[in-house]
Amino acid sequence: MDEAEQGSAHKYLVVRDHLAGLVAQELSVGDAIPSERHLSQQFGLSRMTVRQAVDALVTEGVLVREQGRGTFVAPQRIDFEMRLTTFGEEMRRRGLEPATTVLTAQTVAATPDVATALEIEPGDKVHFLYRVRSADGSPICIEQVWVPVAQAPDLFDDGAPASMYDALRARGLAPEWGEDTLAAGDATDTEASLLGLADARAVLRAERRTYSVDGAVMFSRASYRADRYSVWVPLRAPRPTLVPRRRDAAATTTPGPATAGADDVTAAPGGRR
Amino acid sequence: MKPQGKDQATAILAALGGVDNIDEIEPCTTRLRSLVRDASRVDAAGLRAAGAFGVMISGRVVQVVVGPHVDLIATDLDELM
Repeated sequence: MDEAEQGSAHKYLVVRDHLAGLVAQELSVGDAIPSERHLSQQFGLSRMTVRQAVDALVTEGVLVREQGRGTFVAPQRIDFEMRLTTFGEEMRRRGLEPATTVLTAQTVAATPDVATALEIEPGDKVHFLYRVRSADGSPICIEQVWVPVAQAPDLFDDGAPASMYDALRARGLAPEWGEDTLAAGDATDTEASLLGLADARAVLRAERRTYSVDGAVMFSRASYRADRYSVWVPLRAPRPTLVPRRRDAAATTTPGPATAGADDVTAAPGGRR
Repeated sequence: MKPQGKDQATAILAALGGVDNIDEIEPCTTRLRSLVRDASRVDAAGLRAAGAFGVMISGRVVQVVVGPHVDLIATDLDELM
């Protein structure tokens, strides 16, 4: 009994891989996948095992189940390179129509975390924008954005700008560089409702500091639907680590590994005394 | 004003406690991630005055956010170390 169950636990992967192959090579977005009964006959496996395979692909966001209708190939994830572009630009480049619903646009006092990120004092005035961003009518992400009032006093004078980066550029605060911190999470009830999430509640959270040449101009927190969104990050080999030359030289005169050489001199005890 | 060019690297190194306090410095894309020997010798205000956009200290690891010209600073630091 145990053996049979263990066997089927691995067998589901055969069906999963078969379906993933169909999605990659033969089916298009919105196509129905073969029925569970058909798959169960084709592979000589129980319906339960077949369902496990389909469940796995639903969880991965490759398939989507529609109540009472069946299981279909899900829309592809929208992949983004992490860089300082606007949501609208990125969507149009992919042939998707961007839209924004502004929930809040007001001036507030900076909380300590926002103040730290923007290198201002807690309580300093910041413009705060809270909005939902959609592509072709489906919500993709929720954004909260803060900009110091001192840097751009008139930012919200004509209402919330459609593009914050464009608005900053127009005020001589062109975004030059930034840092994103990414983390996976489960959507809060509010996020799930704004993003229209049902069973799959995974979101990707991105915290971003955006800098102009003179310093931080914008801080934002965004939550993206994990089933519609993925990021890709260009990589390069790191620069060599810099080590003080004195110890470098000492290490090379000592036989054996460089770390042992460094220990022999002064490196190891130095840290703690 | 914030120091420029090699002066900036000199100021950053001094605020990290000087070359004697450095085990290693790893240049990342926008940060210098330093392993220092004694974190109490690190002058966070001095790093900010040297042009850092942020300073994170955790144990002996000191991250100095300097932005994309980290490559230039790293080259200068290499000469100073």
